[in-house]
Amino acid sequence: MTEDVLRVNDLSTRFFTTEGQINAVSSLDLRIERGEIFGIVGESGSGKSVTARSVMNLIESPGEITSGEIWYRNRDLVAEVEDDYPDAVDGEFVDLLELPDDLRRSLRGTSFSMIFQDPESSFNSTLTVGEQLAEAVEVQRRASANPRSTRARTREYSLGNYLLSSVLPSQRYVSEASRERAIELLEMVGIPDPVERADEYPHEYSGGMLQRAMIAQALAGEPDVLVADEPTTALDVTIQAQVLDLLDDLQERTGMTILLITHNLGVIARMCDRVGVMYAGEIVERGRLEDVFDEHVHPYTEGLLGSVPDLERAGDRLQPIPGNVPSLIDAEMDDRCYFADRCPKAMETCLEHPPEYDAGGSDRHQARCVLAEIDYEEGRALPADYFGDTERPAGDKHADPDRTEDDVEPERTRSVVDDSGGDRR
Amino acid sequence: MSSGQPLVRVEELQKYFWEQDSILDRLLGAEPVPVRAVDGVSFDIYRGETLGLVGESGCGKSTAGETLLRLQEPTDGHVEFDEHDVYELAGSELTEFRRDAQVVFQDPFSSLDPRMTIGEIVRQPLDVHNVDTVEKRRERVRELLERVGLSADQLDRYPHEFSGGQRQRIGIARALALEPEFLVLDEPTSALDVSVQAQVLNLLDELQAEFDLTYLLISHDLSVIRHICDRVAVMYLGEIVEIGPVEAIFEEPKHPYTEALLESVPRATTDERERDRETISGDVPSPRDPPSGCRFRTRCPKVIPPDDVEIDQEEYRAIMDLRERIERRDISLESVGEDGGFEFVDGAVSETDLPAFVTALKTRVIDRTLAPEHDEVVEEALAELASSNWERAADVLSSRYESVCERRRPELGEESHPAACHLHDDAEESIRR
Ligand code: SF4
Ligand code: SF4
Repeated sequence: MTEDVLRVNDLSTRFFTTEGQINAVSSLDLRIERGEIFGIVGESGSGKSVTARSVMNLIESPGEITSGEIWYRNRDLVAEVEDDYPDAVDGEFVDLLELPDDLRRSLRGTSFSMIFQDPESSFNSTLTVGEQLAEAVEVQRRASANPRSTRARTREYSLGNYLLSSVLPSQRYVSEASRERAIELLEMVGIPDPVERADEYPHEYSGGMLQRAMIAQALAGEPDVLVADEPTTALDVTIQAQVLDLLDDLQERTGMTILLITHNLGVIARMCDRVGVMYAGEIVERGRLEDVFDEHVHPYTEGLLGSVPDLERAGDRLQPIPGNVPSLIDAEMDDRCYFADRCPKAMETCLEHPPEYDAGGSDRHQARCVLAEIDYEEGRALPADYFGDTERPAGDKHADPDRTEDDVEPERTRSVVDDSGGDRR
Repeated sequence: MSSGQPLVRVEELQKYFWEQDSILDRLLGAEPVPVRAVDGVSFDIYRGETLGLVGESGCGKSTAGETLLRLQEPTDGHVEFDEHDVYELAGSELTEFRRDAQVVFQDPFSSLDPRMTIGEIVRQPLDVHNVDTVEKRRERVRELLERVGLSADQLDRYPHEFSGGQRQRIGIARALALEPEFLVLDEPTSALDVSVQAQVLNLLDELQAEFDLTYLLISHDLSVIRHICDRVAVMYLGEIVEIGPVEAIFEEPKHPYTEALLESVPRATTDERERDRETISGDVPSPRDPPSGCRFRTRCPKVIPPDDVEIDQEEYRAIMDLRERIERRDISLESVGEDGGFEFVDGAVSETDLPAFVTALKTRVIDRTLAPEHDEVVEEALAELASSNWERAADVLSSRYESVCERRRPELGEESHPAACHLHDDAEESIRR
C-alpha cells in the first residue's frame, strides 16, 4: 500500500530583488509517495531547484517562502511536536513550515537529505573523506539520542552544536565504530577499496568518486527522503551511468523516497516512476512516466521532447520551442497561460490562467493546459504577432537576475577549458 | 556531402602540457611529467562535411581543436589546411588562414570585453582584417545579425542583455563575419537549455548549407553528435580509438569504449528503465601516466586474456583490477581482518596466520568466486603480500594473466571505419600475439 510521504500544497517561493519580485515558484502542489522516485524536469529558471530547496528549508534571503504548506508524514515526529505545535499536526502529518527553524534543521540528515551537482561544496578539504563521513554518522547518532521533543527542549542539538561539530576539525575519528560505519558507507556507494579511500582527502577523489562519497554522506542518517538536485549533471556520461545505477540500487535496498531534479529527460526516463514538468514556476504537466512521455497534452512538454536530438536515429530537423524562457518578474507576468507567448496552439481562452485538468493518460495524469479539455481550433487561435516580438532581448536574464537559482546553468558547469587534458582530480 | 580532397589533414598531432607537479618536485629537481593531452591523432576533414570529435572530459578533444587551429603550439605532428602546412604559415598566408578558419566556443563572451556592444563584437574581426569601408562593415554586421536570427536593431545592446542562446547566435555571427570556410565548434550548445540548443543546432545546419561550411564539432553530447555529424572520431585519453561514418559508429560501434559510451547515455523514452545497459566501471586514468598498450584496458570489459587461459570475462576483469591495485601498492595490509588486523613483524605476518590472512584479504579485494585454477593463482599472489612482497605478488599475476592489450598499442587502421582495438586486428596480426 503506497502512501504519501510528502504533500506540498500551494507553495510559493519569491525572491525580492532590486529588479522586483520574482515568482520563482507559484502555488505549487506536489504529492510524493513513499518509496517512489519522483522527477521534476525543467529548463533554466523553471523553478525546479527552488522547489527542491524550499522542501529542504534552504531558501535564503532575498528569497522567501511566501505561502504554502509542506506536510511530511512521520508518526514519531508527530508525537514529538504535537504538544508544542498542535497547529502543525494533522493526523500522521506535520506541516514543516509551521515548525521553528532549529527543529526543521534537525530533520536534515535523518528525515531529509540532499545531494547536489557539485560535491566539493559538501566536503571540507582539510579532513579525510572517512573522517567526514564518521562525523556525519556521529551527528546523526547524537541527534537521535536526543529526542526532538520540545518538552525536553533539545538545546543540545541546536544549530550552534551542529556547526561546532561540523566546523571544528576533529582530526581523528570520534570512535572506531564510526570509522567502521564510514567504511561501510563508502562500500555501500560502490567505492572500490573503501578501506584505503577512507583515509584520502576529497581532492584525491575523482569527480565520480566524490559524487559517490557525497551520496554516502547524505545517507549516513538513513533519511526518509533524498532530494537529488542535478546529481549527475557535472559528470561524464560513463560516470553518470554508474551514479544513476547506484541511486537506483540504493533506493531499492533502503526503500527511501527520492525527489530527483534534472534538466535531462534521459535521466528522468532512466530513473523515475512519476514526473512533473516545470515551466515558469509551475508544474505544467505531471503523471506517470508514460503519461508525460507518450501521452503528453501540454505543448511545452511536446516541445521539450521534440528538442532532444535522438540518439537512436539520425537527424531529422529538430522541433525547437521558439522564443525564450519568460520573465518571472511579478509585474511582468500577466494572468494568462505563462507559455502562451511561445505556444504554437495558443488560443483566446489561453489568456486566462488555466487550472490543472485531468488529462488522457492514467488517473495521475494532469496538465495545466486547455487542450486537456478542448480541441485546438484554428479559428480561435491568437494572431501570430499577438505578443509582439517573441525574441525579447534579455528574456532569461530577468528570470534570474541575482543567480538566486542554481538552475541557471543547465548543462555542465565545468568549463571546456578543463578539457585541456589535465586529469580531473 | 563530403567529396574529393580533404580541407583539413591532421597527422600524428601531439600536444603535451609540461607542468611541474608540485613545489616539492621542483625542489627535488624531479623530471617534469607531461600531460599528454593529445597524443598522436590523425584524421581528415573533407570539404562540406561535419566531423564530430566526441569524448569525455580530459580526453583532449578541445585541445586537439585549438591546436589544429594553431591557437596552441603543437608538440609534434602536422596539420594541413587547403594543402598548406598550418604551422609553417607566415605573413599574408597566415592572415588568410586566420580568416578562413574560425572557432565558436561554449561561451563566446568569456574572452570579450563586456563593455563592447554586440555590433562592435561582430564587427571586430572585420576591423582587425580591415575589410571594406566602415560603412560596408556596418551593413555586413546588420546582415549577419539578421541572418543568425537576431534583430539588427539590437546592435547597440550589450552582451549581458542577451540570453544564452542569443549570445551563442552572436558568437556565430562573429565567427562568420570574415566568410570563413571552416568552423571549429567547441561545445557550442553545452551551456544551453535543450529547447534553445535545438534552435542553435538548426541554425548551424542552415548556415552550413548556405555558406558551404566545413565543421569540426567538438562535443561530449552523443545525441548532438549523432544529429549533425557526417563522420565521427571518438577520443579516449588523448587518442582516437575509432573513426567512421556517423551511422556506422552509432549502429555498429567496434571499439569497446565507443560501445560503453553509447550504452551509458540514458534515452528519453519510456523503455529506458527496461533497457539492458552495459556500463563500465572505474575512472579515466591520468593523462600524465597513461596505461601501456591500449589505454582503455584498465576499464575495458572485453580486455583479452592470454590465449592459453580459459577464464570467464568478468573474473578476468576482476583479476586485472586486483593486479592494478597491487602494482599501485594500493591495499592497506595493516587493516586486513577484524579488530586491528594481523600483526606484522618485519613486514610479514606469521606463518600460522598466513591462511587466515589470505582468506581475509581475498574477501576484501575480490568480490566474486573465482574458478579453482584462478583462485589458486590469486591466493598465491596474496600470500606474497603477507610478507609485503608487492613485486612478487604482481609478478605472480602478470606472468599468468598478461594481456596483449597491455603489451601492444592497438593501431588505428586506414579503412573507412577503423577501431584501435586488438579485437579488430586482422588475421595476420593475431599471429603476432
Ligand atoms: S493553455 Fe493554451 S497557450 Fe497554454 S499551453 Fe495550453 S494551448 Fe498553449
Ligand atoms: S585493445 Fe583490448 S583493452 Fe583495448 S579496447 Fe580492445 S579489447 Fe579492450
